[in-house]
Parts: sequence; structure tokens; C-alpha cells
Amino acid sequence: MPQLTYLEAIRQGIWEEMERDSAVFCLGEDIGIYGGAFKVTDGFVDRFGPERVIDTPIAESAIVGAAIGASYTGLRPVAEFQFMDFIGCAFNQIVNFAAKCHYRWGAPAPIVLRGPSGGNVHGGPFHSQNPEAYFSHTPGLKVVCPASAYDAKGLIKAAIRDNNPVIFFEHKYLYRRIKEEVPDDDFIVPLGKARLAREGRDLSIITYAAMVHVAVEAAELLAKEGIAIEVLDLRTVSPLDKEAIAETVRKTNKVIILHEDVRTGGLAGEIAAIINEEAFNDLDGPIVRITAQDSPVPFSPPQEEYFLPKVSDVVRESRKLKAY
Amino acid sequence: MPRKNGHPKPSPKSSPRTGSNHKGNPSPGRWPKSDQRTYTIVDYRLEKPSITLCQVRDGDTVRYQCSGDLNAPVPPIRDSKYLSRDQCIAIYRWMLLNRKMEQALENLYKQGKVVGGVYFGLGQEACSCASAYALRPDEWLGPMIRNQGSLLVRGFSARDIMMQYMAKAGSPTRGRDASSHFGDIQQRNVVAPISTLGDLIPVLTGVALGARLQGRNIAVMTYIGDGGQSTGVTYEGLNFAAVQNLGLVLIVENNLWGYSTPADMQFRVKDLAERAIAYGINGVIVDGTDPCQVYDAAHEACDRARRGEGPTLIEAKMMRMKGHAIHDAAEYVPKPLFEYWRKRDPIARFENYLLKTKSWLTSEENRELIAEIDRELDADREFAVNSPMPTPESAAGGTYCENGCHQIAPKYGAPKAPVTNRRPETLKKSEAAVHLK
Repeated sequence: MPQLTYLEAIRQGIWEEMERDSAVFCLGEDIGIYGGAFKVTDGFVDRFGPERVIDTPIAESAIVGAAIGASYTGLRPVAEFQFMDFIGCAFNQIVNFAAKCHYRWGAPAPIVLRGPSGGNVHGGPFHSQNPEAYFSHTPGLKVVCPASAYDAKGLIKAAIRDNNPVIFFEHKYLYRRIKEEVPDDDFIVPLGKARLAREGRDLSIITYAAMVHVAVEAAELLAKEGIAIEVLDLRTVSPLDKEAIAETVRKTNKVIILHEDVRTGGLAGEIAAIINEEAFNDLDGPIVRITAQDSPVPFSPPQEEYFLPKVSDVVRESRKLKAY
Repeated sequence: MPRKNGHPKPSPKSSPRTGSNHKGNPSPGRWPKSDQRTYTIVDYRLEKPSITLCQVRDGDTVRYQCSGDLNAPVPPIRDSKYLSRDQCIAIYRWMLLNRKMEQALENLYKQGKVVGGVYFGLGQEACSCASAYALRPDEWLGPMIRNQGSLLVRGFSARDIMMQYMAKAGSPTRGRDASSHFGDIQQRNVVAPISTLGDLIPVLTGVALGARLQGRNIAVMTYIGDGGQSTGVTYEGLNFAAVQNLGLVLIVENNLWGYSTPADMQFRVKDLAERAIAYGINGVIVDGTDPCQVYDAAHEACDRARRGEGPTLIEAKMMRMKGHAIHDAAEYVPKPLFEYWRKRDPIARFENYLLKTKSWLTSEENRELIAEIDRELDADREFAVNSPMPTPESAAGGTYCENGCHQIAPKYGAPKAPVTNRRPETLKKSEAAVHLK
């Protein structure tokens, strides 16, 4: 089985879907001959032609709008944001047009909006953000945040086949940093299903995207102290896998919610509320949040390190919660 | 006068387009500067109103004042280059239905049967109906809130629109949205608008893109106003259509008022059609109260779209003859302006044209046509008024397309873009964004 990076896995997933289904096409800035800022669509224009790999003007609202319109004719557009920080430019098209059209007038918009998000790459305030909570807040959208190469491939394929607008947050820190065996064949990972990244009995860390790796690293350190940590990788933050969330809480009775996004209004608050509703009686301690601080993402490496949740934060909070 | 080297020629991209704005070789004697480029905006109007508005202080209040020739003679309807007698009568009928339906809605509102407001296209019926009439059934339209006539032409009924306004269970959105906020991607090819302006432009552009990928150049039509064209997404969408050479027909309805703000406070250019020059596309001006002008311009734009010759911006000049919505008495509009445009009423003038100028319709036929519309509206109104409200629980469900509720399949046939045998290579390592690692 070939070893693929997270980025190569996404690329392979889109490539396979374009081969499988001629209704799938890509549009975005610099995605054609250049192959995209991070080279996710490298070589696509040679294979599939400029008709299906469309370089657009720098106009995010037009990119999303055009994707919506093309989807009404039965196609499955995959639109790239050069950085997910720029998704704010297309906010209205996404939350008011795409997200509401099926509920309002029965028009499905099977579009995928994908691109790199996340920090720890010293990209500064506009190349490092995690804007998923704006969209998980909007009914009608699905929001995917893969943590592994296998999932990234399976989830992008599922996203393309889904009949709803799906926002696919790739984590740029993971792009070339993680590599694993990914089957060369056609498989999907269903949207809305979490996975256990690590099993444990003492406490659960519920997380997604790059923070899954932080949680697993902390869990490995804590295992040496005899603390067995379970890590639940949500994979999809909208819809949330409520069953998997409740199940891990019922098993370990203590829970930390970890995400790279800022704290206030972030998904941790929502997940805590779900636990409160679904598994309150199973809790043996307070629900703990570990998140980035409530500020823009700072540029300078020491500042960014301060800003982001770290393995040491998880270790410290886990020890405290275990002892509670 | 010899030209300097480097004289900008019409770009090869734009030269094949019919009616291109670029006139590459102005005669040397006529144009003083050798690098001057000239552009043509086709203007179908028989009258060019020159009325301006400004804010004036009047005692202790500020109001709008209009100036210009408010007593100019009313222009005739321009003979269409394309419309037959029967087609003219068909458009006239749509316009009447449009107006009479809105009158019925106004009465329903006064009877307390409407939920929320009513938005009128009074004075704009020619623009809505004659433009939509230029589309073929398998082409697409995205209306704005006043384009209720366009929805009728696309095959929705007055009953549908009335039920929308009354928030009935049987409305096209089953009570979930109001007014002209509905569509149909299966049969009628209408994209439902959202309340923010300009957002339909990239979406309709995308429809044309999707059709082209399926081997079809189609015309897609949408509207924007003198107010709405100020939005950024208007620029993005139209520029995207221009760059991709897609068959967008954008009707810029310059009805002089964006809610209470006059057009003069929305833009600086004399005619909004001038914007076409900046996009490198065709621009046309029509009298929006003349259905023949509107149709001819729309018909030519649709034909260009079908030939793959790109978008057209049609500015239709007219006036919104009511307030923004029914609650708005439009007292900010100077009275003489209403009087000026009332004399240019599209339906009265078209009726006169058909009955007197062309003798295409007898008074008797006209009466029968009007009576038939009244009967149709009576039946639709009765049905709509007596149909049930939705159950509270019907608010649930349908946020997502799940469990096979829709089958997604290419509408115009399988996309046929050529595929090479190129295999994926190892990723290039020299990319710019790698510094973010």
C-alpha cells in the first residue's frame, strides 16, 4: 500500500472523483497550470483540461456563486480557497445562498469548498485561521476537518459525492508532515462519523484536525504515568457525531475538548453542551476546554506558540482532570 | 496622421465578439489622440431623459429636488425588429397579468391576508416581461424581488406568487420563504433570489458555466438595480462571466431609486451601461418602459450568448412607481418625477400601440383579453386565500438534501471535456507556499 502525505491523499481523492465522474470539476485561484498555492491540483489541468480545472479571477464570491450555479445544472464543483482565511470574502454566498437553498426552495447545491486552514506555520493573522465555527453554526452546511491522510482522502471523496454544500478544511500544518498508508482504491469515509484515534479508560479528549496529533502525543506521554487517554477524532464538525461523543464520555467519565480555533463561540462550547444534554450523569468531573486564546493568530513564532494549544497544555490539564 | 508604435489594438480575445465595444481604427482626422480607443454603447431609446436630482435645504428640512425637462413629449413605442403581432400581444398580456396580480396583492394586503410586505414592479412590467420572454424554456432566469412578471413568463402562476405572499402551505416554498423568493431547477429553470443584491449574478454565471461544460451555450438572465449594482459581488460576478465569456444577460434596472436613495447617489457614470466598457463586454441602453426595446436588446443578447460570444449588460431606464415596499409611501420622491414617468406608463403606451398605432388588437379583443386575465386572477386569488397555512411542524426537515430526496444528474448531458492519459506526478517541491511549513 502506498505511503501518501495528507496533501497527496486529498489530491488523489479529488483526482479519482474527477476520473470516476465527469460531472466533477475544479475552480479556484491559480489551480490550473500552477497547480494551486500548495499544489493540491498539480497536474490536474494537463489531465482534465482547462474546461474542468478553471483558473478564476481573485473573486471568492464569484467562485462560490459560480460553483452554486453550476451545481444547479447537475455538476459537482470543487472550489478551492487559496487560504481558508479568505472564505470570509464569500461568506454571504455560502451562508445565505448555498446553505439555505435546499430548505427554502428545494434546490440542492452539491458543492465542495476546500482549502488550507490552521496555524503553526507562522503564516500570521490571515494565513493561519480556523474559521470552521462560522460555518458549523450555519444549518445547511456540512463542515469537515480531517486529521489523517487516510481520512482526508476518504472524506474528500465523500464530500464530493454529498448532495449538500460541504466545507472541507484541510490543515496546512499536516499537508506534508504526516504520511501513512492510504489504499490506492476507491473508498470513502462517511461524513458525520467520528473515529477513535486512541482508546483509553481514564479520560477522553475530543478533538479534530491537527489537534488530534497533539492529543495523541500527550496521550503517549501520559501513558508512561499510567494515565490511559482516549482520543476521539471528530473528523466532521457539522454534523457532529453526538453518539460517539456521548459514548466516549460514558466510558471514561471525564472529558477534555481540544481545538485549535479560538475559545469563545468555538466548537468546544457546543460539544460541552451536547455532553451536558446527552451524558451529564456520566460525568465525574468538569468539562475542560483547551483552545487557542481569544485573539487573532499572531505572526512571530514565539507568540504563535503561546497562542496555540500545545502538548504541554494537554498533559497539564489531563493530570489535573485525572486527579479530580 | 501617422500612428505611434504601440497603438493599442483590440485584444484578440474581444475581437470575435459581435458588436464589440472596441473600434480599433478610428479615422485619424476625427480623433485627436492616436491612442484613443472608442467604444459603442448601443442605445435603442427614442427619448433620453435629462432629469437630475439633488438634495436641497428647504427651510429646516432637506429634500430631493429634480430639475430638467419634465414636460418633454412622451416618446412612441419603438417598432421591434423581431416581434410578431402575436408575440407583442403575448407580452402585453404578461404585462397586464403582472400589474393586475400586484393590484390584487395590494388588496389582499389591505385585507390583512398578506404576511409581511408587498413589493411592486409598477412601471417596470415591460422590463420584467419582455426580457424574460426572450429566453428559451431550457435557459435560465434569476429574478429580483420586483420581477414578478418574469416569473409569470417562466411558467409560474399568479396563484404561486399570491400563496408566497400569504405564506401558504401550498406556496412554491411551502411557506418557507416569501414574495418572489422561489425557483425551480427542474422544469422552469428559475433560481430563487436571496435578499442581498448582486448574489444572483455569479450564480447565474455558474449556471452558464455548467451548461457549457455539458456542451451547451445557453443564455442566463438576471437583474440588478441602480442600487444593487453598487455591491462588490456584482463586479465579481460580471467580471467572472466576462473573463469566462459566458452567456450572462444582465438587465440593469435603473429605476432611479434604491429604497429611498436616488440613483445619482449610487454611481457617478452618466449611464450604467458604460460599465460594460470596463468589463470588456457589450452594453446596451433601452427605455425600460418600452417592451419592444427591452425585447430586442434581450433577444440580441441571448443570441450572442447562444453563439458563445459572452455576456451583455442591458441598462433599462425607467422609474419605480411605488415605494420600496407597500409600507413606503415614497414621499421622498419629488411629485413632478412621478408625473413625468406616469405619462410613460408601459402598459398604457403599449396598449395604445397595439390598438391604435398598429391596429393589431381591436377594442373588443382587448376587453376580452382583460376580462380573461381578471377571471384567471379571481380564480387564483380564491384558491390562494382558501388554501391552508402550513402546520407548525412543517418547519422541520429539509435543511439538508438527504436520503435520496434529489437525484443529481447533468441537465444537458454528460460533460465531454477531453481527458488526456497524463498520470499524477510526484508533487512539485518548488512551490511558493512551502515557506508556510
